[in-house]
Amino acid sequence: MTQVVTVPRPIRPRLALTVVGFGALALVTCLAAPLVGSTSISIARAFDRSIPFADNVDAQIFFLARMPRVLAAAVVGAALASAGVVLQALLRNPLATPFTLGVSAGAALGAMLAITLGATMTIGPLSAVPLASLAGAAIAATIVYALATRTGRPMSTSVLLLAGVTLNSFFSAVILMVQYMGDFTEAYRTIRWLMGDLDVGSFGPILAALPLIVAAVVIFALLPSSLNLLSVGADSAATRGVNVGRAQRLAFLSSALATSAAVSLAGPIGFVGIVVPHLVRLMVGVDHRVVLPTSALFGVAFLVACDLVSRTILAPVEVPVGVVTAMIGGPFFLWLLVRKG
Amino acid sequence: MPISIQHVSFGYDTRSSGSGTFSLCDVSTTITRGSITGLLGPNGCGKTTLLKLIAGVLRCGQGGIALNDRALAQFSKRELARHVALVPQETHPAFDFSVLDMVLMGRHPHLGTFQLEGPEDLSIAHSCLAATGTAHLAYRPFTTLSGGEKQRVVIASALAQEPEVLLLDEPTASLDLAYQLEVASLLARLNQDHEVTMVVATHDLNLAASLCDSLVLLRAGRILAQGPTRDVLTASMIQQLYDVETDVQVHEPSGHLTVVPIRRRPRP
Amino acid sequence: MAARQKRLTLLLATAVFVGGLGASDARQEPGATVTDAPARRIVSLVPALTEMLFAIGAGPQVVAVSSYDDFPPEVQALPSVGALLDPNVERILALHPDLVLTYGSQDSVETQLGRAGIKVFSYTHGGVEAILRTLRDLGSVTGRRTEADRKAREIESQLTAIRNRVRGHGRPRVLLVFGRQPQSLRQMYVSGGIGFLSDILDAAGGANVFADIARESVQPSIETLLSAAPDVIIEIRSGRAGAVTDAVGERSAWSRLASIPAVRSSRIHFLSGSELFVPGPRVGLAAEQLARVLHPEAFE
Repeated sequence: MTQVVTVPRPIRPRLALTVVGFGALALVTCLAAPLVGSTSISIARAFDRSIPFADNVDAQIFFLARMPRVLAAAVVGAALASAGVVLQALLRNPLATPFTLGVSAGAALGAMLAITLGATMTIGPLSAVPLASLAGAAIAATIVYALATRTGRPMSTSVLLLAGVTLNSFFSAVILMVQYMGDFTEAYRTIRWLMGDLDVGSFGPILAALPLIVAAVVIFALLPSSLNLLSVGADSAATRGVNVGRAQRLAFLSSALATSAAVSLAGPIGFVGIVVPHLVRLMVGVDHRVVLPTSALFGVAFLVACDLVSRTILAPVEVPVGVVTAMIGGPFFLWLLVRKG
Repeated sequence: MPISIQHVSFGYDTRSSGSGTFSLCDVSTTITRGSITGLLGPNGCGKTTLLKLIAGVLRCGQGGIALNDRALAQFSKRELARHVALVPQETHPAFDFSVLDMVLMGRHPHLGTFQLEGPEDLSIAHSCLAATGTAHLAYRPFTTLSGGEKQRVVIASALAQEPEVLLLDEPTASLDLAYQLEVASLLARLNQDHEVTMVVATHDLNLAASLCDSLVLLRAGRILAQGPTRDVLTASMIQQLYDVETDVQVHEPSGHLTVVPIRRRPRP
Repeated sequence: MAARQKRLTLLLATAVFVGGLGASDARQEPGATVTDAPARRIVSLVPALTEMLFAIGAGPQVVAVSSYDDFPPEVQALPSVGALLDPNVERILALHPDLVLTYGSQDSVETQLGRAGIKVFSYTHGGVEAILRTLRDLGSVTGRRTEADRKAREIESQLTAIRNRVRGHGRPRVLLVFGRQPQSLRQMYVSGGIGFLSDILDAAGGANVFADIARESVQPSIETLLSAAPDVIIEIRSGRAGAVTDAVGERSAWSRLASIPAVRSSRIHFLSGSELFVPGPRVGLAAEQLARVLHPEAFE
């Protein structure tokens, strides 16, 4: 059987081209998204400085409703997509998602408890629910990490996976119980939170999530070549000079940071962390040095676009963004399966 | 570059106090520069463990390994990988890397953290592929290759590290007869032309006989015997090692020893 | 959250939730029960129906109520048998009722009761019309049809009186909020164009900003809130009457959206009281509370 073989470009020009191309896509999407919404506004009026901001409905819609939302979608999209790539390499499993290791379940439990107990504590721009979900995420990550780490030795990816799955089940059961024992409006609000919500309404919560995201990105920058080697095998990576234990810990930490920030900001938005990496690999190949930055950029475009759909398709009723990503993600995976099979 | 292995013990589940089961117990040997040493022994005897210890993947519980009079622990991971390469028994990448991608990963120890491979790395990779006869597969996905082709690509990847020492874990295990001979002659050629020191763990006694100039026999984590192949590969030794009765003869035309298994003869 | 508060929020949310599930018709045909003997031992799982029973004088016929009932005070003395999610069928059966008032969605409970030969009255959820109709139906099954009709007329005249009072005082655009995350505007639930909250708002002389959305509850985005631009924001809370623990803090959650007329003129009101959450006989009181806040000048 003759195979059509495309000789790929060497990596340096390929990486540059890809990053520039997807960067442009992300930028264009972010610039275009606030221009569209469930209400029609006049952009000229929104930018008209002569009208006081407090009187300018169009400006308030543009700057208070749409822009924070688009920015949140960008940050969350990049975070979840990158975390997905890193975890898929760490666990050597293309089906891993940012939620596989229980971090999101911990965040969800924290949020549920805050909603059901009616917590009202605030720290800075963060109100009780995001704070509690951050705490929950941190606890879950710590448990999984402690279970899977042995000093001086590489992490056991099978223990990681098992610990994550177990934690997911356990936390889900607790969440159900919390919902059952709570009130009805609380149950409704918890369900709503679980569907994901990017309508942050101000830049405060985004800024609060930023330190975590920045920390995650700094670590992400160190990982890609190690991820290539790790995904071939821990021993193969070790014999090629990778400090496997350290690379695994950094991969786990960075993806946990990114996922915690994303989930506490906007709730658990599914499918981004798995659809984006796969789509990107279909487009640019499997080299993590290209896939990781590209996934971050494509994650921006993807989630901003999904949020756009969620707030316009049935206007004025909003479809939760997690439903939109699922509607795209589900058929996408069926298609992938059919293609491979 | 001689490898000196002194009183090495290692256990997968030992505590720091030293209690627990050991995979290797008080193993001492020296690998001389430019030699091809065979590691023989039944399943579970510690061959793979020893290879991993030499490659720095595992750390000795007790004792130490030195590379050219320098303790392994003193090498950074990257530096060690520039001297020692390990060809594992099986390679299953989780993603669809191409053959060239796999070989380029062997250049990792020569690149900085943020450095991307350049034209020189590419040409080294291509020449390693050529050396293993897999140049025509360069852009194929690794997972679509046959067992023999995969093995040769992984060897090429190890060669891309430009190591002085090449460790191979059962390199011919999944290969047919033709490929077995090809890999064997490839290794012999690399050893002669490029002075690569080799340590080959294998079950294939005839391969060991034809390829290796010295042997280390391991049983239950301890060295049973070691020395030049002629001296060590005897029916009596094989009996002790494998509990199998064999007939060991010199094959006149090639000058190698041949081992013919006769029957199992477990120790009483 | 205080227990009382929880119960009250549950009542309203239950109403919304059951309405969202889709109302089912009363299993008892109105008027068809004339031939049956009036129910003497009634178990009520629905607080709105419990209130109606007591309002039409059928209180003595009630033997048990739901765990969320707390009005009128007489119900405190009655045993409770669970509610929407956790009705205790054993306890219900042990009381030997001849009529059980259930939610329309509690199919398994209704089936079990049907097998035990006990009549079931299914709650019909809806606006003021549904409340009055249900009141009359309950009157029929409890032999209190006369009192029920009288009570229904009383409620109707209450609402008419309020309508008349506020006529001519304008109809401000109103956002009626019944749930949100504390200190933020996320996960907000507001009244849509149908349902009892929308009806009493209308009677109280307010124009619901979401009157054109044919749903009981709407979850508006910030953009939707800004473009709806209500003149008045009314948040109904389930706390002790009039008490909002952090009015300043909760008001400040709105302060960013300064282009909303209600925010600019500080017309943000917090109301509480179980009558605002229970679509029952106190619906006139609820409408009056809203009217007083919307048109205080009409009540001087």
